[in-house]
Amino acid sequence: MPILDQGYQHWDGKLAGRGLRWLAITRQGVKAQFKNRWMVSTLVGALAPALALAGFLVLWGLFEQQATILEPILFLFRDLPQEIRDGPKAFRATFWTLAFALFFQVQTFFAFLLVMLVGPDLISQDLRFNALPLYLSRPLRRVDYFLGKFGVIATFLVAIMLAPALLAYLIGLAFSLDPSVLRDTWRVLAASAAFSAVAAASMGLLMLAMSSLSRNSRFVTAMWVALWLLGGAAVDAARQTPARAWAPLASYSDDLASVREALFDHDAHWAHLSDVFSRGRDAVRGAAGFGGPRRTGLFGIPIGPPRGAAPPDAPRPPMPPDFEELDDDAPPGWPWSAGVLAGLAAGSVLVLSTRVRSLDRLK
Amino acid sequence: MLIELEDLTKTYGAVTALAGLTVAMPGGSVGLLGPNGAGKTTMIRGLLGLIRLDSGRGRVLGMDVERQALEIRQATGFVPEDECLFPNVTGVQFVAYAGELVGMPPRDALRRAHEMLDYVGLDEARYRRVESYSTGMKQRLKIAAGIVHDPKLLILDEPTNGMDPAGRSEILALCRDLARAKGMNLLISSHLLPDVEAVCEYVVVLGRGRLLARGKIADLKRPHDREYELRVRGDHDAFARVLARRGVESSPIEDRLLVALPAGADAATLWEAAEASSEQIRMLRPRRSTLEEVFLRAVGGAG
Repeated sequence: MPILDQGYQHWDGKLAGRGLRWLAITRQGVKAQFKNRWMVSTLVGALAPALALAGFLVLWGLFEQQATILEPILFLFRDLPQEIRDGPKAFRATFWTLAFALFFQVQTFFAFLLVMLVGPDLISQDLRFNALPLYLSRPLRRVDYFLGKFGVIATFLVAIMLAPALLAYLIGLAFSLDPSVLRDTWRVLAASAAFSAVAAASMGLLMLAMSSLSRNSRFVTAMWVALWLLGGAAVDAARQTPARAWAPLASYSDDLASVREALFDHDAHWAHLSDVFSRGRDAVRGAAGFGGPRRTGLFGIPIGPPRGAAPPDAPRPPMPPDFEELDDDAPPGWPWSAGVLAGLAAGSVLVLSTRVRSLDRLK
Repeated sequence: MLIELEDLTKTYGAVTALAGLTVAMPGGSVGLLGPNGAGKTTMIRGLLGLIRLDSGRGRVLGMDVERQALEIRQATGFVPEDECLFPNVTGVQFVAYAGELVGMPPRDALRRAHEMLDYVGLDEARYRRVESYSTGMKQRLKIAAGIVHDPKLLILDEPTNGMDPAGRSEILALCRDLARAKGMNLLISSHLLPDVEAVCEYVVVLGRGRLLARGKIADLKRPHDREYELRVRGDHDAFARVLARRGVESSPIEDRLLVALPAGADAATLWEAAEASSEQIRMLRPRRSTLEEVFLRAVGGAG
């Protein structure tokens, strides 16, 4: 058919606002990712921990209400200390916090996988196909381009982190039938939102920076895997050096974990729970009178220090007279980890602004 | 005026791409001519606000190039010279995506993409991945993406580069139709003079970042007062000798003679010579400059 057979019609439709123009890039990027079967499988797999979290919150809500529906599975709770069984509401915040913290710990691994599948192509392919002039010659700024690409990663991370956490929270809320849940657990929700934001910002910026470093997305994938694996290896190697206390900072995953635990106040809740379980064990030991007590636990899973382990206040072996205890193995606090993540984010922004240049310097 | 530039200067290190360029271009279809390195691409990027100009001012469609770059790009379509594609999409997705980037709602962008692909003649190929397209198909695709939002001005940078004659002719027909039948303003940068001549009414010649010549093509190709092209029935060489005896210089071009009359003479001199030599003049017309001559004169004058 010769060209021009079909007429050209003028178009005077309404255009979207300029502030949200980056959404078109995000929408297109997200749609394109669903062609990748591996990505879809990982996304579906990443929802399994969310089901487990929601299931736990439902059980906890029913346990709080001493619901009769739980009778067939009450044996799961028999190993809990009496203190918890008598007044579970007093431990609501602790159990919710630890459950959400564990959920985010698992989801961090899925986030690593998803970003590895979604991210490498985002900018490297545009560089390979010289698509930047097509973007920048339209009413878009460079920051719109970055935002649009970042939005693709953020969408998937929110889909496996914040969205399921929020859904699980609402389910837990619904099954608790107690308005005081909001008062007791709002911090869990805030920590979930904050950690999701930190993870999305940090991983998104890092991956975009890596994606801009090569036109070959396989190299980008290799860089991403190396960041996670080599960090752990570096920590192991640094354990033999005098700077071993600072070694965890070299591991990206450890830095994320440190910030996550700080946001959820994980250690304080865990210490609280350990105290309760210690008291419960002592009580069981006293009641038994002989033999070793069973370890306390939840759902049959032992919780707390293992049997035979020295209690925190156990007598310590004698030390040499001139022995001076140094606390140089204590890991650096979470602000250092947050600083490392912020530094990586700043470096990523610098790399992006250098690698994705305006047409001033393009061919 | 479609485009007004005043004292535009842009340097890349030691290289001066635009050296105080001042030019005004009227609406319609404008050809931008110039040898390599003349500053054509830099000028286009300056018009779209894609580069930071060292000095000078400019207005495109009445909008300031410095302060209203996004508005200019909103009202303008750009078809770049380089091979550039949105990867991993089909033709129709490519054009629809281009529309969405300009702010069209996704549904409108998709419908409009189909219309534009019909218009440029990409039929079933629109459902293929764009990486598999030929050069000509990519060029049509880029044009469809450039006009999807119905811009007031379409800028084409070397639109026929690397194309075969048939494809080139189709692209030029498309450009002509857009400019003449659809009322779209066109700015075509090219080093192929016939392409510009086939589409444009107005031409701007750049060289070393400066304006060398500009005007309506019809005016630039003005008829010469004392130069004619003529064809005779008989032998051209014999008639050339007859003319030479009367002080008329002539030189053969293809199937005709190009003659230059001496001062004070007019076309009657030629008729008299023909009558005297019993020759028949079959064609006689004043000579017009070709665009190539205009271009070479302008570029040569600058050099």
